Amino acid sequence: MQANGLDLSLFQFDFDLTFAAFFLNADKTIYGRFGTRSDQKDAMREMSMEGFANALEGALQIHSRFPSNRKTLAGKRGPTSRYRVPELFPSLNGRFTAKLSKQQPARSCMHCHMVGAAMRKVYRSSRKPIPEDVLFPWPLPSVVGLRLDPKHMATVKEVARGSAAERAGLRSGDQLLSLSGQPLLSIADVQWVLHRTRATDRVSARVRRGTRELDIELALKPGWRSGGDISWRTTTWDLRRMATGGLVLEDLADAQRLKTKLGTRNLALLVKHVGQYGEHAVAKRAGFQKGDIIVEVPGLRGRSSETDYLARILASKMRGDSIMIGVLRRGRRLELRLRLQ
Amino acid sequence: MRLRLMRTVLIVAAMSVVGMAQNKRDDAVRKDRETVEPAGKWIYNDLPRGLAEAKRSGRPVLVVFR
Repeated sequence: MQANGLDLSLFQFDFDLTFAAFFLNADKTIYGRFGTRSDQKDAMREMSMEGFANALEGALQIHSRFPSNRKTLAGKRGPTSRYRVPELFPSLNGRFTAKLSKQQPARSCMHCHMVGAAMRKVYRSSRKPIPEDVLFPWPLPSVVGLRLDPKHMATVKEVARGSAAERAGLRSGDQLLSLSGQPLLSIADVQWVLHRTRATDRVSARVRRGTRELDIELALKPGWRSGGDISWRTTTWDLRRMATGGLVLEDLADAQRLKTKLGTRNLALLVKHVGQYGEHAVAKRAGFQKGDIIVEVPGLRGRSSETDYLARILASKMRGDSIMIGVLRRGRRLELRLRLQ
Repeated sequence: MRLRLMRTVLIVAAMSVVGMAQNKRDDAVRKDRETVEPAGKWIYNDLPRGLAEAKRSGRPVLVVFR
């Protein structure tokens, strides 16, 4: 399937993926999803052929019990999309049509990440903060402290110390059978439940541990979603245009912090890349250079990541606003004014 | 004058490289459909047909985006 003309009320998935799959009934009931990504370069870190085969097997089992299990599947479908198809988004309208051009099929083919970027532009263009669930879509299980096995549906590989998953009593080897009552075929199914979970919520889970089945509850703290990393996402390129004027930033490594006497708890974001063209060159025109270290940003306190910067600026500053940014360049402190887009 | 000519030649060359890459991508998209459909296992970019086939056969549907 292609993104042009896509039914956005039915097909809701992570638009930063290179591969996504849906298991459906003929009446469009969704049995499950497959396809997860967590890294810009390593597209297969969270996926495997074995995992895909297991998800297919699980989908066939759900199908064999359908329609008696219809109720448990209802939550797998999202709300009706404000834009029925991608080409109706204001930033895509007029650029793409429902069908590909016969002469230039590649050029007329909408990339999935363009849909994700278009969703965010709706808010930014109307000078509204981008909602947290749009800025941090499809949370990875690691946000609640879970590392799942890409080879087997939703099986726990590791539980992070002090995480919501640990507090709930989850252990390595546990198989998550359902979350919020929805059966799980893959990591993507776990992400879907998290994606649809509100800012503070409790998520019920049915777990298989050895021969036993347990019911547990994950309690999510306020702000849990923004603990995720969005720097790997293709759609973040457009967020950088909006919030950094085309800079790519990276938390300064401890060794470099020692050299520059910045301490390990302070804000220090290294400018790794400076955009060179068009709207991605706004920071370049403002005077930013590769190798600069950003040490002061309005509203950002303490050691922060590029994701923290984006979240803070996009929530508090609108298109057309200007901010003063404190920068260290070869030991000298500068103040640069950046106009946001 | 010479510099301008060289610049023009470079721009034309760059444009043909971009054009060639574009044609290559267009060919790849056309070829993709030609490769996938004849095997008879996939329905290419036609959801209504896929759903109708699922209804007829009683099988579930696997929809892939890539």
